[in-house]
Amino acid sequence: MNVLVVFYSRRGETEKLALAAGVGAIQARANIRLRRLTDLADAETIRRDPVWSENLERMKKDYIAPREVDGQWANVLILAAPADCMAEMEGYLEGSRATLHGKSAAVLGGFADLAARAGLTVVPGSATDRDRAVAYGRLAASGK
Amino acid sequence: MITIRKSQERGHFDHGWLNTHHTFSFGGYSDPAHMNFRALRVLNDDRVAPGRGFGAHGHRDMEIFTYVLEGGLAHNDSMGERHVLRPNMIQAMSAGNGVIHSEFNASQTEPVHLLQVWITPAVEDVPPRYQQFAYDPAEKQGRLRLLVGPDLNPPEPAAFIHQDARAYASVLAPGKTIEQPIARGRYAWVQCAQGNIILNGHALAEGDGAAISQERALEIAGDGATGGEFLLVDLA
Repeated sequence: MNVLVVFYSRRGETEKLALAAGVGAIQARANIRLRRLTDLADAETIRRDPVWSENLERMKKDYIAPREVDGQWANVLILAAPADCMAEMEGYLEGSRATLHGKSAAVLGGFADLAARAGLTVVPGSATDRDRAVAYGRLAASGK
Repeated sequence: MITIRKSQERGHFDHGWLNTHHTFSFGGYSDPAHMNFRALRVLNDDRVAPGRGFGAHGHRDMEIFTYVLEGGLAHNDSMGERHVLRPNMIQAMSAGNGVIHSEFNASQTEPVHLLQVWITPAVEDVPPRYQQFAYDPAEKQGRLRLLVGPDLNPPEPAAFIHQDARAYASVLAPGKTIEQPIARGRYAWVQCAQGNIILNGHALAEGDGAAISQERALEIAGDGATGGEFLLVDLA
């Protein structure tokens, strides 16, 4: 099972949830790829938020942005984004509709409707803490 | 029996940001004759350019330890561990039932040179675990300094791994000789990390390795102008 974890995070909190779900996928013996969506905000806005800037510096090293081949490679997606900044995820789902259509996805962040609109089958469940995210990722990667 | 694995016979890739040699099959290097030696599955000799490294990726059921020869390696993982590993430190990670980590050269100006060793665990599905500590470099001068092993109460501070294997580091000045008995039925791997050593009459230069089986004892001496630094892995 190939699991693509796509997330958007500014201050590292959603990143932690995405990583926990990714660990759950590994526990289910899946292969995983981790991808972070690129910020739509301009550099000045990011610079004014030191926590965002600091985390972004690190995350830019740790993750590349999702590519079309990643979507093609994946059997299952794990999607995570903060509820109050959905534009990056919305843009990704809209732009990847053709590649992702028909695949299943675990959704962390209350945007199941967006995922469904992009043609993804949403795995029932949710998680707002690490342990639940691990369990949700494991469930999604088990293909059940 | 001692079988030499010459440095230049290893799998080699120079990606620009990463110059890597694989003693055993790894990534894009696959050779059925060099898949592993006993539980020793991976022995990579990596030079990573300043500021570059390995992005976030997952591991499962593998004991991974890293030995830095030069520079610093920054580690982040899904357990929340964030550290910089430098020479004279030992880092061991049990991937267990799942871990995600990244590893980057901690410097924007200096390269990092490291050996990374993967050992197949005796047990699967255990909780992941991370250990890192520093030791006095004098502790590996002229003797074998235990780095990792399966002992809960090791004779000197060492990282725990889930396998009946022990890895040691040593630095030998020219002419300095140490002897290490090999218990009946045990195996060993010696990897020359820097400089030159002589192993039971075999000259090993940087990057050379040796698979050891059915030997009763090892005699290892520092050689050349500066002697040598090596890892010894005792294996079941």
